[in-house]
Amino acid sequence: MTSENPETGRTVKRTIYALAGGLVLVAAGALALESGLVPGWISGRAKVAQSATDPTYFQPPTEAEIPDGPNGDAIRRGREIFMNTATNAGEFVGNGLACANCHLDAGKEPLSAPMWAAWGQYPKYRGKNKMINTMEDRVMGCFTYSMNAQHSVAGHPPPHGHDIYRDLEIYFSWLATGAPNRTKMAGAGFGTVAKPEGGYSLERGKAVFAENCAVCHGADGQGQTDINGRIVFPPLWGPNSFNWGAGMGRINTAAAFIKHNMPLSQPGKLTDQQAWDVAAYIDSHERPKDPRQKSGMSVEEVRATFHKNEDSWYGKEIDGVLVGVGTPEPERPVGAPENEG
Amino acid sequence: MNRYLPLALLAFGILAFATLMLVIAPGVQIARHSVPPQLEPYTEQQARGRAQYVGLGCVYCHSQQPRSPDQAPDGERGWGRPAVAADYVYDQPHQLGTMRTGPDLLNVGARLPSEAWQLTHLYQPRAIFGWSVMPAYPFLFEIKPAAEPGDTVVVLPEAFAPEAGVVVARQEALDLTAYLLSLDRTYPAPADALRDEGYATMESGS
Amino acid sequence: MTRKPTSSDHIVDEKFEPWERNGRMPLPVVWVAVALAIWGTGTLLTTSGGAPETAVEAAVQQDRPVDAPDSGAALFAANCATCHQPNGSGVRLAVPPLRGSEFPAQGPELVANVLLRGIDGPIRVDGHDYDGHMPSFSAAFGDAEIAELASYVAATFGDRDDGVDTATVADLRARAVGQGTWSGGEALAAAYPGLPPQPAFSSASVTPVSADVSALIFEGRDDVWACASCHGDLGQGVENTPRLSGLSADYIAKQLRDFQTGTRANEHMSFVAKGLTEADIAGLGAYYAGLSVPSTAAPILGGDLKRGETLALVGDWDLGVPACFSCHGPSGFGVAPNFPALSAQQAPYTASQLAAWAGGHRANSPLSLMDQISKGLSTDDRRAVADYLASLPAVPAGSTGAVAKEGDGHDL
Repeated sequence: MTSENPETGRTVKRTIYALAGGLVLVAAGALALESGLVPGWISGRAKVAQSATDPTYFQPPTEAEIPDGPNGDAIRRGREIFMNTATNAGEFVGNGLACANCHLDAGKEPLSAPMWAAWGQYPKYRGKNKMINTMEDRVMGCFTYSMNAQHSVAGHPPPHGHDIYRDLEIYFSWLATGAPNRTKMAGAGFGTVAKPEGGYSLERGKAVFAENCAVCHGADGQGQTDINGRIVFPPLWGPNSFNWGAGMGRINTAAAFIKHNMPLSQPGKLTDQQAWDVAAYIDSHERPKDPRQKSGMSVEEVRATFHKNEDSWYGKEIDGVLVGVGTPEPERPVGAPENEG
Repeated sequence: MNRYLPLALLAFGILAFATLMLVIAPGVQIARHSVPPQLEPYTEQQARGRAQYVGLGCVYCHSQQPRSPDQAPDGERGWGRPAVAADYVYDQPHQLGTMRTGPDLLNVGARLPSEAWQLTHLYQPRAIFGWSVMPAYPFLFEIKPAAEPGDTVVVLPEAFAPEAGVVVARQEALDLTAYLLSLDRTYPAPADALRDEGYATMESGS
Repeated sequence: MTRKPTSSDHIVDEKFEPWERNGRMPLPVVWVAVALAIWGTGTLLTTSGGAPETAVEAAVQQDRPVDAPDSGAALFAANCATCHQPNGSGVRLAVPPLRGSEFPAQGPELVANVLLRGIDGPIRVDGHDYDGHMPSFSAAFGDAEIAELASYVAATFGDRDDGVDTATVADLRARAVGQGTWSGGEALAAAYPGLPPQPAFSSASVTPVSADVSALIFEGRDDVWACASCHGDLGQGVENTPRLSGLSADYIAKQLRDFQTGTRANEHMSFVAKGLTEADIAGLGAYYAGLSVPSTAAPILGGDLKRGETLALVGDWDLGVPACFSCHGPSGFGVAPNFPALSAQQAPYTASQLAAWAGGHRANSPLSLMDQISKGLSTDDRRAVADYLASLPAVPAGSTGAVAKEGDGHDL
């Protein structure tokens, strides 16, 4: 053993090599684990749930992110109106529907006319009323047609400048936090389903309805309630549904909604043909009259003015019966108290 | 071998340490735990039934120790919450078992509280489960031409009923059933219960 | 030629015993050892110091300290808002509002009384008539929680700041024993004269259970075990034997027929169903549908109740799972005939059925709705939602088979 022991140097060197090698191994292992290349049965990690929705869709903020303060309060109010329209905007709702019946998941679901995609599109020109529409104008249209405000206690949609619009709009704009402006986003609207070459058939539609829709919406399409009479499944036609002026009354729109969202939890189950057939069946039933049919106007005139070139039964005859005349007016406005005073 | 004393001391020390940690300390720990107030001692009949359970070797196929949800879905199977030491305070010897050829039975009285069901199942498990591998115990029953007052007649579908007469439970079958129905540890685990925490600590930790 | 020993061959130490020098450990082995040491230390550091109490134990500990109930606002948000809405507006023509209602203004004692006993019967609130069906929360809440909640509701919606204390609630609870639910607003108005006139309660004619069906339920038959021997005397269920009381008659009948035909597989129930006639099935359905029994279920699976609440109320649309309540009705009271009541169902039963659907062992759901949804749920999600549903109050008694009514201006 000399004073210059070569072993000492080698031991130090080996220690450095050993530590470095160990660290490299740890780093490599961690990298492999994080990259997700290691199968779950080795890593013991639960597989990250594959998102059923296309990840390319815009992700709106979650409810937990609603801010505090007056902004947040208004957003929450808007959400309440959206979810429970017949109560929180009950004065202006003439049927049993709510915004969230067609705009699923509180207006967040792609291809169910999500509000985050609609927000950046307004104001815009709409052929429906041939003018520039603000979001308020657009929501007013919803109340007029989809919520059939004519049969409500007020008898008309909320007037311009009403707080209902303020609350709904801030809710929409909050949902669109970070969304591009004036850009057609993936998942906007209800999507489109090409009209089948052979057209559509009420016969087949009736069968599709009985098989796939009646479980929830009832064989008579009038929806179902729980024991308190609260509407769980919305009525699809009749006096308690949307009126003839609503977008959902057009077969192509209804077919797209159905194809991409129904039956609930099983979107895409129906073929394009089935979606068109059942949409045609649903939209062949009578519903409240088109509010644009002013007194003295015949259904034919309304068809020529407002329903020209659209896929709709409005103004046509089924088995010799004219469609579009509307359901009878209610004795009293929908939602009015039965005991005055 | 002239240094046997340290060797003997070391051996004794290791043995003493193991005994302390594996026998004495757990014993002290368990003895301090309270007896769940809802847990009743076995009645005489249940105790006789328990002897049947031991004698028939049920323990070879049935465990009596539901496990933590982190280890097995016993809760969803209806087998009850994870067992704690206090659940076995009246069981000497315990019937923990290690095999699960059949389901866990610590809460069978809560899960299948029907005496009629238990008797049918003991007489002929395949009357209910066509695929069951559990032995039948016909010797716990007798076939009588007609039920006498006080007899417990076994509910049976036609295919398994005797050609003539009725199947009546003997005392042994009634005892065993009484024991099975007494197996109900669905009360909340005592707050000071010591039990296997499974893997949950890893998730709830830090 | 013999080799002569040389000096170099000379054995210096005759006592020399051969020994081996320390061989060097191969470097890769050292690497692995070092890596394992680092990993082990890291794991130890990240997982040490955790709470020894597991989720299971936390959930099983049912007797929470009574001196620290949740605040009234939190209790309201978690338990009342699904029906009465977060802002107390109720649901038009279905759920009476609290905001603008005459009832909270009568004071917190009335609110506590309603919470304890529930309501079954017509009730007039703010000029509107409602077919009142409110569950009793007496099983779900302790006295302190009822007191907190009643004080909060009376103060928020009735402008009554007097509050009610735990002792008063305990007294009310003692007096409510055996009283059943309030039969509508009329009964309440009799007890609290300050209320406006209330619609009259007409006791619905209850069809008595036939002797045959009654015998079947409690005594069984030659080839059928008594229903009550497993499902309990009140059809309340236990563990993975389901609660039957409050399920709709049509739903029960459909399941029994499915057991008969083998469409739904369950050995116990197939055995039973084979011995049932159509009359038995109808009688059993009517009997259990009419039973209003307090909940005996509890969240015992150690599931995450918050997650369960989210799944039940909002769903997880990324997993293709809509809210449970979007079909089974708000608060899980069920929608006849295809959507059974979920509230107060035994947690192991709910979880086992979800697992059965996911695994293909149960396949009698209309449109395979539940098969699809269950497949989207992880084991933890199934536990969470089963536990949450078990924590809800039982469905109140009421007519079943409701259908959304036509809008004739009277009601929706």
